[in-house]
Amino acid sequence: MTLEHRQNPPAEPARVVVLGSRGFIGAALVRDLQAAGIPTLAVASADLDLSAPDAAAALTALLRPEDTVVFLSALTPDKGRDIATSMRNLRMGEAVAAALQAQPVAHLVYISSDAVYPFESGLVSEATPAAPIDLYGAMHRTRELMMQQAFKGPLAVLRPTLVYGAADTHNSYGANRFRRMAQKDGKIVLGGKGEETRDHVLIDDLVAMIREVLRHRSHGTLNLVTGQSVTFDELARLVAGLFSPAAEVVHTPRQSPVTHRHFDSAARRRAFPEFRFTPLADGLRKVHREAIGGT
Amino acid sequence: MIGFAGMTHLGLVSGLAAAAKGEAVTAFDPDSDLVARLAQGRFPIDEPQLAEIWAAHRDRVRFTSQASDLAACGLIYVAPDVPTNDSGVSDLAPVERLLGIVGKAAAGRTRVLLSQVPPGFTRALGDPSIYYQVETLVFGRAFERALEPERFILGCADPAQPLPPACRGFLERFGCPILPMRYESAELAKIAINCCLAASVTVANTLAGLAENVGADWSEIVPTLRLDRRIGPHAYLTPGLGLSGGNIERDLATVTRMADATGADAASIRAMLSNSRYRKDWPLRRYGELVGDRITHARLALWGLAYKENTHSTKNSPALAFLAGLGPSVVRAYDPLVAADARYHPGILQAKDPLDACRDADALAILTPWPEFRRVAPRDVAAAMKGRVVLDPYRLLDPEACRAAGLQQAVLGAP
Repeated sequence: MTLEHRQNPPAEPARVVVLGSRGFIGAALVRDLQAAGIPTLAVASADLDLSAPDAAAALTALLRPEDTVVFLSALTPDKGRDIATSMRNLRMGEAVAAALQAQPVAHLVYISSDAVYPFESGLVSEATPAAPIDLYGAMHRTRELMMQQAFKGPLAVLRPTLVYGAADTHNSYGANRFRRMAQKDGKIVLGGKGEETRDHVLIDDLVAMIREVLRHRSHGTLNLVTGQSVTFDELARLVAGLFSPAAEVVHTPRQSPVTHRHFDSAARRRAFPEFRFTPLADGLRKVHREAIGGT
Repeated sequence: MIGFAGMTHLGLVSGLAAAAKGEAVTAFDPDSDLVARLAQGRFPIDEPQLAEIWAAHRDRVRFTSQASDLAACGLIYVAPDVPTNDSGVSDLAPVERLLGIVGKAAAGRTRVLLSQVPPGFTRALGDPSIYYQVETLVFGRAFERALEPERFILGCADPAQPLPPACRGFLERFGCPILPMRYESAELAKIAINCCLAASVTVANTLAGLAENVGADWSEIVPTLRLDRRIGPHAYLTPGLGLSGGNIERDLATVTRMADATGADAASIRAMLSNSRYRKDWPLRRYGELVGDRITHARLALWGLAYKENTHSTKNSPALAFLAGLGPSVVRAYDPLVAADARYHPGILQAKDPLDACRDADALAILTPWPEFRRVAPRDVAAAMKGRVVLDPYRLLDPEACRAAGLQQAVLGAP
């Protein structure tokens, strides 16, 4: 099922509850909502630990029927790919599901991940079977199913691919790490020749897309992707060119096999025909300026 | 005298083709208004040769809404429309209804079911005087194929028994092989033909898509395949926008459903459906990349609404799929047979001809390969348009002339 809109023409939500408000995406979303004057309840793990035994009751007390909930809280792979981390993420899902059953809301948006796809069969679309190959992907897929079972209102499952932005702390292989490598060492070291293709989304665009989903009270599944993939080598050269003098791009012996990620963005174009992504070169320049300026 | 029951596209074409072969034809439909219009030569279909055949053979055709008139026929073809839903599932109630009417009016006569039914349907009727003939209708080439079929495939309760003389005599008029077989084989043969067509379409579209990405030109590759005897001169090798029209997709859906029910593997057929859906979105993707990502509220010229040339049918039309995902643009559309309708897009306007559609447009999309579109000069298109982008998947406009006119032509199968 791809994305459909319950609210057309779109309208701002009454209040947005952001679970996971201090993460990379959550913080950017909260800033955007507050700048737009939309009542926002930002909930971070420091305020409410969703993996704690009493989390469901505490969250239930915070929710109102007119709320839109954006469920972003997750321990990302850089915090651990082990069973314990996965189980803690599932406990968070369990608490949110229980709270939504006790206090249904107007709209639920679950921010999942493209890790639910196996990336073994070429082009991926919303119709591709979600068959995760690791615990992180399986955790997201399980939480998607938890939300579907617990919540009977409009539910949007959004699956972002690689996101880049100055405030990202994950340091995962891609634009953010390349920039840090270039800044620190004057060179970007690639595994092999950097032939692997990936789709990269600027955090501003990701937040704007989530906002559109909130405004349309959309339901269904949508991949948050541009539909344009580039190789890591192309990406590294774009990042390297932002420095003066330009950083060096260094190839090293390959440690792992080449894998590609291409997405079919037809569902996104159909759902939001007027939405435009920032071209990769422009997005990288913006992030570079923000990182240098410390904003 | 031969009867035809159900004045559908299939029934009309088959009945008029029988008349053209010298048969006296009784053409029945329960809709008396339709029959009155047909008797005046006002047909609800558009097909090449229709007017000429009607003019030359009308004296041998009698339209009627009285089922009892069929009693005088030695052989009766039954050809109702079989609607399909969005999942490709057929509604067989109209078939059962019309078979019931004909069976009551002409009990004991040889009846031949011409509309497509799934394997197992005809035997379940439990009447050995009913035969199932595989229809060969191709929209836009219906009379050509009805008058010169490659072969007849006839499903029988028992293929070891001789065919009824009226049936054999009629089919032999066409001078092509007659292949009697059990009902189930004939019902599956029709699906097998469509699966083979789908395989050619899917191979051509998949490789044409790859050609767009690797700097190859599919049109240069096609002649190499045409010259390969194992593939054949008539294989479907021209890239298109997925499988359209509904009939082939229905059969693929039937195969996957029956394979699921019987425990057979149908992964390859599912892959064809998936590829078809992907290729159908080609206009949306290319338009997004070349226009939508750059211009807000673009004005679009659209040539073609029918699912292919020479037909008024829009079932599974790539043009309508494109319009459904287009967003709030203004679209000036022209199709020789299909009128622009707000059901297709809220911003659609009717153009009076192809160049009228192009007036001040930011982009042109040519999504039905009507022959008349080939005759429009690219320089005239460029003069009428504001923008330069032309989505021309079927290469109807000459690429050289487009380049000379400064148009950016996006085609299937080439970068």
